[in-house]
Amino acid sequence: MINVVRRALASLIFLMVFSPALLASDADSEQNEAPIDVMGKVTNHDYFEFAGAKLYLPRILYAGGEWYFYGNTYKAIDSGEFVRGEEGAIIRADGQSITLDLSITSHLIYVWLSLIVTFIITFLAGRKYKSGIGRNSEPKGALLNMFEALFVFIRDQIAKEFIPGDKYEKFVPYLYTIFLTITLMNLFGLLPWAAAATANLTVTATLAFITFLVTQLNGSKDHWKHVFVFPGVPKWALIILTPVEILGLFTKPFALAIRLFANMLSGKIMIVCILGLIFVFTELFGAVIGVSSGVFWVLLTVALYFLKALVALIQAYVFTLLSSVFIGMAVEEHHHDHEETSVAKAKDVVIQNH
Amino acid sequence: MHYFLNGGLLSFDTGFGFWVFVTTLIFLFAMNKWLVPPIMSALKEREERIRDSMETAEKALAQAEEISKNNEKALKEAEVIAQKIRKEAIEDAEKLREERIDKATKDAEKLLENARLKIEQEKKSALKELRNQVAELAVQSASIIIKSELDKKKSQHLVDSFINDLSKNN
Repeated sequence: MINVVRRALASLIFLMVFSPALLASDADSEQNEAPIDVMGKVTNHDYFEFAGAKLYLPRILYAGGEWYFYGNTYKAIDSGEFVRGEEGAIIRADGQSITLDLSITSHLIYVWLSLIVTFIITFLAGRKYKSGIGRNSEPKGALLNMFEALFVFIRDQIAKEFIPGDKYEKFVPYLYTIFLTITLMNLFGLLPWAAAATANLTVTATLAFITFLVTQLNGSKDHWKHVFVFPGVPKWALIILTPVEILGLFTKPFALAIRLFANMLSGKIMIVCILGLIFVFTELFGAVIGVSSGVFWVLLTVALYFLKALVALIQAYVFTLLSSVFIGMAVEEHHHDHEETSVAKAKDVVIQNH
Repeated sequence: MHYFLNGGLLSFDTGFGFWVFVTTLIFLFAMNKWLVPPIMSALKEREERIRDSMETAEKALAQAEEISKNNEKALKEAEVIAQKIRKEAIEDAEKLREERIDKATKDAEKLLENARLKIEQEKKSALKELRNQVAELAVQSASIIIKSELDKKKSQHLVDSFINDLSKNN
């Protein structure tokens, strides 16, 4: 009961915060001069923003059976081949919509940046290890120690913990890479002007799809047996169980993608909305109240930033951990001595899915 | 503000997804193939070395303990032996002393005995000589008497009886 009330209150507060912001962004399309654009802060853009300056990124378009390459969106429009359609998206001048848009976007830049930073960290650490530090001696220096703490944590607490036998070694590179990359993408979202690429469903879905691929490509015979012919249950039950199990294959990565996406997006939206209240208050009650209430909103934002920094790490950890759990479940080879164990396993699977 | 890219917040952007997928896959391949394995092997190697050296140290410790235990045992044994030797030495010395004393006593007794025997012999021979001389003296004195008194036979007899008495009284 208390939960219901709390949830209702939370929704109400959220709506109160949200609707003026939304109104503000709606008003934007008419006046082209809005106090704050909430959605614009979290969506993908065709420019890379830094310190207020915008660098427009190349457009690679495939429309109506032809490829088009432009230095940026404005060049595409200037060339006369493309015009702005509804909602700002560009379409070909003859009305043909774009079939495939391979443009470089702001979120893609952050994905690449994260990959590059991950690469640099790993490369530098690897070079140290190759030179013998950490191989023949103890790791020297704070950075290498920090790296090792991270790496050993992923290897022992995430990979070894959930992937049975010696198989875990094969998946450490994958888990380590996605953990570091997702952490970096999340943390980039904390920088001013920057955006968290993980607040984009496309990114999280792609990452979850890669986890799905890794999981299914390494699935053991038992894994597939569990999916199609669940052991230890009467034959008629398979009519229900097999579709559920097949569905389960896809709900796991789906949950992974949505969890990361929603967590990162909500944090960003919250911060933009709360800061946006300064402008909303200014519009509604005048500059004095708007600015003086800003003290409160800024303090709240600071608190949220700490929370976001925590969430950035926790969500990367959760994504990696669950990837490890799914991989571990898929590669495990069961010994069906008792029917009970498989049923217990199934219960575990169900619990983990919730 | 314009959303240049198609789709809203919850839609999947195929072109963008393609880029992310391809670059991440290539990156993962590189990580899996070249970047992470050296780190894994280095850590593994170091851990194995640490485990090995710990095992070796433990073994060495056990060995050292055993050696020290053996040493202690040997020390104890040596002490026991030493004590035994000392005891034996004391006993031997005691025995030797007793033997010496015994021997000395016996020697002394023997000497004493010899001396006594000799004295006895000397005494006997002295007595014998004395007797002979006394006899001779007696004879001489007798002869003197006889010469003076002529009754030699009677005198002789007297002398002999005197001497016999002498020896009996002696």
